[in-house]
This record gives sequence, C-alpha cells and structure tokens, in this order.
Amino acid sequence: MLKPEINELLTRTGPGTPMGAMFRQYWIPAMLAEELPENDSPPVRLKLLSERLIAFRDSEGRYGLIDEFCAHRGASLWFGRNEQSGLRCAYHGWKYDVTGQCVEVPSEPDNNNFCANVKLTAYPLVRIGDVLWTYLGDPAKQPPLPEFEFALVPPEQTYTSKRWQESNWLQAFEGGIDSSHVTFLHSGGLKSDPLFKGAKGNEYNMNDLKPFFEVAEADGGLFVGARRNAEDGQYYWRITPWVMPCFTMVPPRGDHPMHGHFWIPIDDHNCWAYSFDYHPVRALTEAERQAMKDGHGVHSANIPGTYRPQANKDNDYLMDREAQRAGETYSGIKGIAMQDASLQESMGPIVDRSKERLVSADTGIIKARQRLRKAVLALRDEGVVPPGVDPAHHRVRSAAVVLPRESSFIEACQDALTASPGVPQSTV
Amino acid sequence: MTAFMRPVLLNSCAMAATEEEARYRIDVPIKGRQGARVVALDEVANGILRRVARQGWNAARFLELASRGAAAVVLRDLDGVLSSLGEQLETADVVVMIATADGDEHAASAIGAACTARGIMTAGLILDAGGGVGGAGTALRPHARVLMVTSDENDVSEVLLALRA
Repeated sequence: MLKPEINELLTRTGPGTPMGAMFRQYWIPAMLAEELPENDSPPVRLKLLSERLIAFRDSEGRYGLIDEFCAHRGASLWFGRNEQSGLRCAYHGWKYDVTGQCVEVPSEPDNNNFCANVKLTAYPLVRIGDVLWTYLGDPAKQPPLPEFEFALVPPEQTYTSKRWQESNWLQAFEGGIDSSHVTFLHSGGLKSDPLFKGAKGNEYNMNDLKPFFEVAEADGGLFVGARRNAEDGQYYWRITPWVMPCFTMVPPRGDHPMHGHFWIPIDDHNCWAYSFDYHPVRALTEAERQAMKDGHGVHSANIPGTYRPQANKDNDYLMDREAQRAGETYSGIKGIAMQDASLQESMGPIVDRSKERLVSADTGIIKARQRLRKAVLALRDEGVVPPGVDPAHHRVRSAAVVLPRESSFIEACQDALTASPGVPQSTV
Repeated sequence: MTAFMRPVLLNSCAMAATEEEARYRIDVPIKGRQGARVVALDEVANGILRRVARQGWNAARFLELASRGAAAVVLRDLDGVLSSLGEQLETADVVVMIATADGDEHAASAIGAACTARGIMTAGLILDAGGGVGGAGTALRPHARVLMVTSDENDVSEVLLALRA
C-alpha cells in the first residue's frame, strides 16, 4: 500500500510538481527520430510532462522543440509552415526558429525589431540512436547526454518503437520491474514469440513457476533478480536493472536481442511506452526487425500512421476468450505489450495504491517507490541531484545467468550487468 | 476472429478506465494484517527492530533471538517474554527477517525452513554497510521468498507498511 499523499507525490509530473521537477533533471525520450524524417518535414505536436509542445526539423536539419502556441494570439503552430529555417504560424505568419526566437512578424515594418523581444519557451532536442531526446529542466543544470547502450550501438543493431498507454507512468513503470507477473500473464509468449522462443532459459521459466526474488541497490536505481531452480543444484537468475526514473531492461533469452523500456509521462493520465531491442555485437536480422515491426516481443502493432496500438481499450484489446481458454494466451490478449497495457489501463488512469494488498514478492516495487520518494524529496528540499542523471548510471545491462546456489548475483554478475561495447550479453 | 470474440460492449470493464468511472469503485476499508512477525537475527538488527517497533503497527510482533546458534530457535519479544518459533508461527502469515552480515545463519535457516514447511510468506532484509551480506545472505537465500540487500534501514518500515503489518 501507499499513502494517498505519497501516491500523489509520485504520479503527478506537471510543471510545479515535485516529481515533475525530478523528471526535469533528466534527458528523456521526446519522440522517435522517424517522426521528423527529413528537413522541413511536417511539425509534430507532442505533450510531455503535461507541457504542450511542437517539434520540428528545420531546413538545415536542426531540431527544435518549442511551445506549441504562437506568442501572438495563441494559435497552434501545428498548422504552421515549416520553411526557410523556421516554423511560420499559419494565422498571421509569425515565424520562429528552433530556439523559439521569433524571427519575423510580417505585419510589422521591415526595420522593426519587435520580434527580437518575442521568444517562445524552447527545449533542446538531440538525436541519439533512433530517439530524439529532450531536457525540460533548468538550462544551467543540463546534464551530459544519455549513454544508454541501445542508443549507442550502430543503427543496424538496434530498433525502437513506441506506443501510447492510457495510464499514469508509474503503474506502467512498475510493470517493468514486477518480475512475478511474467510467469502468468506472459506465459504463452515463451513458446511462440519469435523474439523469445527457443532459449534454454525458457525451460527454467516454465519448470519453476514460483521464483524467488532478490533486490539490490545500484548507483542509478536497482537490480531486481528473479531466481529459479536449475540443474545440479544451481539457480537460474534473471536480473532486471532499473535506472531512475523510468528505464528498465528485460533479461535476455538466448541469442535473441536484448530489450527494455522507457516510461515517459505525457500527462498524469497517459504515458509513452518506448520499447527497444538491440544486440550488443551483431546486426539484427531481417526476420528479427520485421518481427519487431509486426508487434512481436515487447513491441506493439500500432494503427498505421499513429502510435496507438491496434488493440486498445476501445475494442477491449481484441480480447479472445477462446485463445485464453485454450491456453494460447493467459489473459486472452495477444502480445506482451498489450497484455501489460490492458491490465495497467484497467486499473484506471491513476491507480489508488492505498487499496493495494501487497505481498513479499512485490518488494522490488516497494523499494523502487521508496527510492523515487527519497529522491523527489531530496531534490525538493535540498537540491540533491537524483540518481540516474549521471551517464555513468546508464551503462547497465540486464542478464540471465546460471550460478551456484551460494553465489550472490550482485557480486557474481558485476561484469554481466555492465554495458561494455563489443562484449556479448550474458544470457542463457 | 474466433467465435468467442465479441464486439465492443459499452459496459465493458475497459471502458471504466476513466477518472470519472474510477470514482464508482467499491470502497471498503482494508483490515490490517494480523499475523506479521518481524525477527532480528543479530545485535545491529535488534537495534533496528526496536526503532521500527516504536512506529504504529497493526498487529506486528517484533522478536529477537534469545540466544545465538541455539539448536532450537527461541524468540524474545520486546517485553522480554520468551516463546518458541513454533508458537510464533502458529498464527503468522508473513515473517520478515532482518539481518546484517553478522546475522545468525542457523536461525535464518531454521526460521526459513519452518516458514516454507508451513507455507508462510517470507522476506529477508539484509542491511549492508558496504561489507557484503555475509553468511546470513547465503542462509536466507534458499528460504526467503524475497531478499532485499539495502543500505537504508528505512526499508524495513517501508516493507512492513506495504504489507500492512
């Protein structure tokens, strides 16, 4: 359970909120690079942390992320013309560059300097990998750029997608570190999903439905280990890293690509689930990349031209009771991503955590909430920079390993849990 | 689409996932847990146990080991009353063990095994001041459904609060 005031503290991320202030300490994914595919391509509306913004790519290829609304009379710049190194409002022609600076007010005399005093709020927008990242905080405190491995490997080794989830970010994120649901909700996927099946580790998963858990602190967040019995008295460990505030990685399976998520607040009732797959040492195969595009693994099949999943709450997630009855899927919902999203959305926009009945297996979630709360309050009350801002904290990996019973995963897997360019993942 | 797939119903549960609809959830007070046992396995853990016990809890019992390495685990509550492990587990529904690297390995094993035999939920919290988790971690690992290694003793309260102890 969580006291209502703590639930409010952790779930509200708009301007002026403590958790909003914490999110504004980090570089976060703003959008996929594919959304601004070329210079002068159409601008994109986006909402992040309850701020309405417009993103565009100018004639020189510079990215801009600025206030969505024209300073003149508040019309949306989404209708604007992206041309000649700026975004021009369709209403009266006011034009802005990527820094938000107004560079032209056509109704004024040519030699008038009125526009020099007009500047929209603007944030940096930087491409790293397939993602455009932004920082919505104080420019004076802007941290170094993020260094997550999935975004730094060569393009042929990585793939990122995103989907709109109609719930608060925290309940989506909590699913990312909740290892105990995998045995049930996702049980069908281990046998059939092309991005999971065939791994030796899957047998351990299916043969031991009551994993034990171990939670250990990391500089940037946590490591959550789930262990199951393996042969010869050993344990099979699946280790999930969490980097604050909202980066999680799923432990790998065989030589399949590794995958994980970011859970980014759109507003208090919606979030973006970014899902990535990458392989540290080889290119993704065409079959793998196609499977990801088709919504397999951690990805979703979206309505063409949008980032809304085809299976969504308006069509009951295409619930298939026959598949549920036959055991093809545990919940009747197809695909890992929508299995999670359907249940997390069913909780309501912001779940009331004061009504929970937690068990010891939820300790990872309990600890994560505690770390978030401490970091939020330390920032608010003492100005302490939260864990996860430092790029050194980003250099983590998930791992799946078999260890002797007496081994502590955190001591035995230090190298396995560290991102190392050119070094294969530790996987079973 | 199979025969069991249905068109969208206006009263489907998914459509209740709005803030407005969420107000109509049945609101019944949740009774606190009555069977939590919190056991410290060494002297440092005893200090943490006593500090945590001062906070308001539902019905949690806070227990120390009466002696280290004893063949049969004997527990002592904060009033000094002794009881056997079996007595304490009769009405227990969760046992949370607290230890440092100096935790009594024998007691950890005995308590964990007894809980496993009785189907009682377990959790182990090991306070790591930088020197590793020692033998207590190894002893607890096979028996504690969850093991948390932490440098923050507030985690004990957090876990007990979440469990409604």
